Amino acid sequence: MREMTFTDAAREGLAEEMAQNPGIFVMGEGVGTRGGNFNTTVGLYDLYGPKRLRDTPICERGFTGLCTGAAMVGARPVVDFMFIDFELDAIGELFNQTSRIQYMSSGRLQMPILVRGSIGIFGSAGPHHSGNYYPLFMHVPGFRVVVPTTPADAKGLIKTALRSTDPVIFLEHKGLLFSKGPVPEGELLVPFGKASITREGTDVTVVAVALMVQKTLEAAKQLEQEGVSCEVIDPRTLAPLDVDTIRDSVHKTGRLLIVDEDWGPCGIGAEIAARIVDEAFDDLDAPIGRLNGAFAPTPYSPSLTAGMVPNAQTIAQAVRDLLAE
Amino acid sequence: MAFEVVMPRLGWTMETGTLIEWQKRDGDSVEPGDVLFTVESDKAVQEIEALERGILHVPPDSPPPGTEVEVGTVLAYLLQPGEPLPRQAQDAASRPPKVAVVPEASAEAPKPDTAAAAAMPSRPTTAISPRARRVARELGVAWESLTGSGRTGRIVERDVRRAFELARADETSRPPLREPEERDSLIPSSLPTPQFTRKATHEPVPAVTLTAGVDATELMRIRDQFGEAMGSPTSIRLACRDLLIKLSGLALQEHRTVNSVWQDGRILAAHDVNIAIEIGTKAGVVTPVIRDVPSTSILSLADQVSELTAKALLGQLEPADLQGGTFTIADLGEYGVDAFTPIIHWPQSAALGLGRITEKAVVRNGQIVPRYHMVLSLTFDHRVVDGGPAARFLDSVCGYVEKPSLWLVR
Repeated sequence: MREMTFTDAAREGLAEEMAQNPGIFVMGEGVGTRGGNFNTTVGLYDLYGPKRLRDTPICERGFTGLCTGAAMVGARPVVDFMFIDFELDAIGELFNQTSRIQYMSSGRLQMPILVRGSIGIFGSAGPHHSGNYYPLFMHVPGFRVVVPTTPADAKGLIKTALRSTDPVIFLEHKGLLFSKGPVPEGELLVPFGKASITREGTDVTVVAVALMVQKTLEAAKQLEQEGVSCEVIDPRTLAPLDVDTIRDSVHKTGRLLIVDEDWGPCGIGAEIAARIVDEAFDDLDAPIGRLNGAFAPTPYSPSLTAGMVPNAQTIAQAVRDLLAE
Repeated sequence: MAFEVVMPRLGWTMETGTLIEWQKRDGDSVEPGDVLFTVESDKAVQEIEALERGILHVPPDSPPPGTEVEVGTVLAYLLQPGEPLPRQAQDAASRPPKVAVVPEASAEAPKPDTAAAAAMPSRPTTAISPRARRVARELGVAWESLTGSGRTGRIVERDVRRAFELARADETSRPPLREPEERDSLIPSSLPTPQFTRKATHEPVPAVTLTAGVDATELMRIRDQFGEAMGSPTSIRLACRDLLIKLSGLALQEHRTVNSVWQDGRILAAHDVNIAIEIGTKAGVVTPVIRDVPSTSILSLADQVSELTAKALLGQLEPADLQGGTFTIADLGEYGVDAFTPIIHWPQSAALGLGRITEKAVVRNGQIVPRYHMVLSLTFDHRVVDGGPAARFLDSVCGYVEKPSLWLVR
């Protein structure tokens, strides 16, 4: 099968959908001739021109509101934030308007909008360009929150997102953008709410998000040499969250660790832990473990940053600790 | 790795045990199955075997023989050659040994002390993971007696499965497997349920006693007939007690709430009627159990009573002899007592006291006639049984005593 980078696969998905659906347009800073800060739109300007690839000034709230209005009247906008950190400047529009319109109109209006941006601690991006923020969106009714980790999922999920009638938050970890993986030719749609078991195992279930899936797979290889069999689950979409797959895995293993680069409080780990305690209490042989990034803004310094995020060694140790519980 | 040698839980209600004697010395090599030490609990002495291989290390602060300690107290370690003591054992070395807490002091909640918790894996309420509890239920393993291998001494799934495999591999050293309990029925209780073991044992039980006089003439007649048939009538009191055990067992079948036991904070109306009998020994009162009284013949029952009495007097009762009682019968007739308040033995909820049998002048059909007479005293836990049902049970027993042959032919 052909190999592609994450970014190329996601862009292929966007291009295929734009070719099929003339209502799709992209708006953001540098998405036009520049092709996007992270190459999200490279080549598309040549095909579709400034009408469907609209560069904007630095005015997040303005163009987010504009796209929300466009979606209300039948267009299918893609808001490209480059860094999801900048979406914080548009939170008022997103939470109060974009997420609410369908409820407030009793479903008479739809909100087919795709909000995308890079997330994660990578490449000394510092405190303003390293956020994850998926728990913010999970917390608000109405949003779909998508966090792909492989090139194939990036393509399959962005295509599903571009056919959804709900607002979708599409988050791409900077540490994954240039990773390569097999992407099948032809139509590729990955459904929302279906987790991927990226490695099967019997001793412990590890749910990992975004870049942490790769780190966990490295840890699982180390642990295999020690005779520990890890099952690694990539939720792929955090809203809707595929609790069934995690629960079935915990039924098998009895132990659950959630690895998340993001801050711990009120995070994805807390949500998954509470859901599993609700639904699978009698399957648990140990307290549920959480491994998170340090609870502090991300520094520039590479050596400081390295100590703040989970890596294969710290994940492997967290698994060993959990097995000793 | 180092294995802890702890005071085992030999019976469901055992909370403390007395270390009698080490059978292996500090530094001895130990194989699984070797007898490590002897323990006295509930006045029975039992040999405790090693479950793991290693070199016995008895720390200086280990409780000396003769000390009564709580179940789960670490007595020693089995170490591999060259292996140092586990760190928590070294930390604990400066602390005095844990001795059994007297019941009065135990009313105070144990203070949280994480280091002590690590050194003493199984506290009075043994921790078990939800999964291990579920697996224990599925496999029928009585987990209360297991030692947990979790970081804090928690019993986890592997401990339950290991116990199950051990039991299957070696039928003789079977850890206690619990009988299925489907036949027992749960009595819904709106009462605050007692905490498991120690606390509930010593909590004041709202005990109520009912007494009823009963005509024992027919009972004495039956006893004499049995005595003749069996050859030499041995002890008059024993035979009458045997009959009363049997009759009470039959009555308990009809009044199952009186035959209730506390289990895991719930009240179970037990299906089986297992009657404990109080026997006074030099070392105090013991209560061995006669199982399934309703379907045990009088002859077999009398045999069991005399065998258990002999074992009790010789101090040879085994823990199994003392377990599983659902009701207690105490007999003070030979001491000339008419009526008294028998003690309820937790987790049971009632006990019957037998007074002396005396001849009395009774008016019957306008005539004064001599009749045998005795008083039965029923003490019950009012949280479990109400006065009405208790009185109906006592009335049933009296009815059976007055016309015993109707019931004994069953």
